[in-house]
Amino acid sequence: MRHNFIDRYAALDSPLHILEPRTKLLAFTALIVGVLSIPATNGFLFFIYAFAIAIMMGFSQVPLNYIVGRALLLLPFILLASLAAPWKGYLGFGVLFVRAILCLILLILLTNTTRFAELLRGMRKLGCPQILAMNLSFLYRYLFVLTEEAMRMKQARDCRRTASAPFKEELKLLSSMLGTLLIRSFERAERMHSAMLSRGYSGDFPVISPRKFSWHDLAFLSVVTLFIVSTFCFTNR
Amino acid sequence: MTEYAVRIIQLSYTYPDGTRALEKIDLDVPCGERIAIVGPSGAGKSTLLLHLNGVLQGTGSIKILNQKLEQSGLREVRRQVGLLFQDPNDQLFCPTVYEDVAFGPLNLTVPADEIQRRVDKALSDAGLNKSIRSRSSHHLSLGERRRVSLAAVLAMEPAILGMDEPTSNLDPRNRHHLIEVISGLKATLIIATHDLELVLDVCPRTVLMDQGKIWADGETRKMLADSRLMDAHGLEVPLSLKLGFKSK
Repeated sequence: MRHNFIDRYAALDSPLHILEPRTKLLAFTALIVGVLSIPATNGFLFFIYAFAIAIMMGFSQVPLNYIVGRALLLLPFILLASLAAPWKGYLGFGVLFVRAILCLILLILLTNTTRFAELLRGMRKLGCPQILAMNLSFLYRYLFVLTEEAMRMKQARDCRRTASAPFKEELKLLSSMLGTLLIRSFERAERMHSAMLSRGYSGDFPVISPRKFSWHDLAFLSVVTLFIVSTFCFTNR
Repeated sequence: MTEYAVRIIQLSYTYPDGTRALEKIDLDVPCGERIAIVGPSGAGKSTLLLHLNGVLQGTGSIKILNQKLEQSGLREVRRQVGLLFQDPNDQLFCPTVYEDVAFGPLNLTVPADEIQRRVDKALSDAGLNKSIRSRSSHHLSLGERRRVSLAAVLAMEPAILGMDEPTSNLDPRNRHHLIEVISGLKATLIIATHDLELVLDVCPRTVLMDQGKIWADGETRKMLADSRLMDAHGLEVPLSLKLGFKSK
């Protein structure tokens, strides 16, 4: 079965890809904060940020249509969220929309220039609690297993019925399927735990990191810092 | 004097829900021996394997390489006893193959350069190419996943290796490949399986389990050819023995 991976292009080798995950986590977080703090009336700054993000998109080698496709997928949610701010009128709607899109593209860029495993390592090194990083790691690993299990279950259901049942019956069926999935996941978690114990797990999830902090990272961080600081100075002039 | 890899005396285990899984099991496995545990589903084979490194703890006594298995020595025992689980999805829980294979050695606090060497060696011993290191487990085929699981266990360099249904659900090519890999291993092997042809190929000695008890323990070819014994425990004489294909 085929899945749509969140880090599909993370294995490329662009100038953005070779950066240490911590660098990217810090820089992208700073940029997101930057986007969020642009004053609503400053159209020029929005443009500057969009331009900077476009340059990074160019460097990242992640195909443009992929980024657009991903962003479109989440567009309905953004629209809904933006509509929830009616008290600010058209301007409020527009600003919220543009902000959300810019942040979204930044996140898509981050996850597609960094392997998920490395992102987690970066988070760990930046002081994210181990239990959280571990759970995210399992989520990433088992999301696909769970999806496949659910798909197989759905196929089995479809094979054994000819027409759709009344709504109430459908709901009943769905809830029992969800229950089965939960129990299976629970049992899998127990087997996984045995497997972890068998390989010497004692409560500490070890981290290995192939990438080292290099002058690339320093350069990238300096450029981003300079950019954000100068835009701040520009707004507060 | 014979050196024993595993000595089990009067081991019994009951699952928390009351199911009696093992009943007074006695089993000795000399170092370097390859034994098969056969028996119908639910016979207690997997449960027995989980006792070898203390994941499950029943009553009775277990000695691993002459050391009594106790709570305090679990760390050492888990270094010596590797377990290969039936479903690779249970065993491969890291985002990439490399991390999964390195997980065991890292827990043993093996130095960094040594880890690199161990991962490479384990992958090649399991018949895998180095290029698989950076891939994610969910992108791999079942055959590859099974071998990565094996590599993850081999990276701990265990003296004793317990395997649960290593060849189940594999296509013939992958099955052959895995049997070759298993045949080349140096560790003491304890293989729980339904694949009696695998048993004939790899294990000179076989133990027959059913309903949590050991019913027979002896030379593989003799036991598997005993049609009355096989029938009585829900197994069947392997085709190759029936037809006389396999000669020593």
